[in-house]
Amino acid sequence: MRRFFKIYRILVAQNLKRLMEYKADFFAGAVSFLIDQAIGIAFIFIIFSQIPQLSGFTFEQIVFIYGFSQIPKGIDHLLTDNLWCVGYFIVKKGDFDKYLTRPINPLFHVIAETFQIDAVGELVVGIGLMIYVGGSVNLYVTPLSVLLFFVVIPFAMLIYTAIKIATGALAFWLKSSGFIIQMVYGMNEFAKYPTTIYSPFVKMLITYIIPFAFTGYYPRCIF
Amino acid sequence: MKLTKIRKQYVPFMKAGVQTLIAYRMNFFGFVIGGLIYCFVMYYLWKAVFQSSGGSDFMGFSMVDMTIYLFLSNITTQLTFSSVSGDIAEEIKDGSIAMRLIKPVNTDLSYLFSELGGFGMKLLVFALPMIVSLEIYRFCTTGNVMFQPMNFLLYLLSVILAYLIAFRVNLCFGFMAFYVKNLWGMNILKNSIINFLSGTLIPLAFMPEVLRKILEYMPFSSMSYTPVMIYMGKYDTYEMIFRLVMQAVWAFLIYALSKMIWLGAIKRLSVQGG
Repeated sequence: MRRFFKIYRILVAQNLKRLMEYKADFFAGAVSFLIDQAIGIAFIFIIFSQIPQLSGFTFEQIVFIYGFSQIPKGIDHLLTDNLWCVGYFIVKKGDFDKYLTRPINPLFHVIAETFQIDAVGELVVGIGLMIYVGGSVNLYVTPLSVLLFFVVIPFAMLIYTAIKIATGALAFWLKSSGFIIQMVYGMNEFAKYPTTIYSPFVKMLITYIIPFAFTGYYPRCIF
Repeated sequence: MKLTKIRKQYVPFMKAGVQTLIAYRMNFFGFVIGGLIYCFVMYYLWKAVFQSSGGSDFMGFSMVDMTIYLFLSNITTQLTFSSVSGDIAEEIKDGSIAMRLIKPVNTDLSYLFSELGGFGMKLLVFALPMIVSLEIYRFCTTGNVMFQPMNFLLYLLSVILAYLIAFRVNLCFGFMAFYVKNLWGMNILKNSIINFLSGTLIPLAFMPEVLRKILEYMPFSSMSYTPVMIYMGKYDTYEMIFRLVMQAVWAFLIYALSKMIWLGAIKRLSVQGG
């Protein structure tokens, strides 16, 4: 276990060094994700300029769910971004051999290799939005709910990671599974809004089969 | 003479494009299904919006209109989707662009033809079946046949113009790989900006008056909004002609822009190599 941490620290340090080399790239990446988020909020804002409430949810409540859903997504993006590359081209180009020849768990190595700092865009927006609307959504802040909040986030993150590993691994059969990751991962769109607006079938799908509902709406219900 | 030359030089690129699409068909299906999932999220969201607003009409759109709009926007975006920016970036990175440059063919035409193959395939196996199912949906909900052949043909014309614009925009974007390395983050940015400005995310008709006026004259609305509105019959004859002409003008302007950027970029490439 200590060995894993040591290797991870070295690999992350390598990533950060590379980052200092290409400062403009980091900036471009982080700003891109920030603007991507801003457009998502603009969308909710335009809808609410026409209606006062959406199925009984106020603007602030919807933004809160949206903000919360971005945090596990952002952490997963920060830590395990290299899984996308497995699906898209690492297996296809034959580069996966590199991981197999080294005396370390290949899955750990794939994940540790990239530290995707672009994700701060999502994290900053997610946390910022929760703080911004936090005062106006009637949160029940008790020691238990705060504890649950910190327990829920790593598990919600693991939902993202698990889905990426499962769909990325399909590349070993299909050569390239990037778009399958994209397809299943894309269902996280459902997590941005309250589950109550969906049909029973969709609700079941995102609760029991591809459980993205647990990364946004359900955790919000503990408050 | 000229035609034979084009056939001999560029049709192989087109065939290669079709073959790539067939070879990676699983990816293609994943892409299509991913787009449809997104449509369904939006469908439920809009349904909730319609229920909350109380009326059956929301700023001139009924729920059936909205459904057609969502799915048709998605079909149009898939049709006009061009991966050329990523392809160029990849070729610059690994140096294989040199192989393309030494061939006695026009560089951007060779990209265009390898994509046209994919465009035709997408139209046949995805767009047409989807449009048929949309019309069946519309028939089942309203009880009337609302399909207008004339609008459909004009839609196809408009989609081709939209495709040419999107292709050139992506080409310009791909040339940025000569200058920036993190094209991946930029790509996300490009897609979300285009999604927003082109009206795919939210119909331009719903936007504040001033913003809508500006966006309607920008090239982005030509990339998806115009064809969809033509299909839905939201324009009268005069406006339809006006929009189509505007698309053609934008297609030309962006063509000129991509040529200019190319001339600048290729000089830079030769510096790097020398």
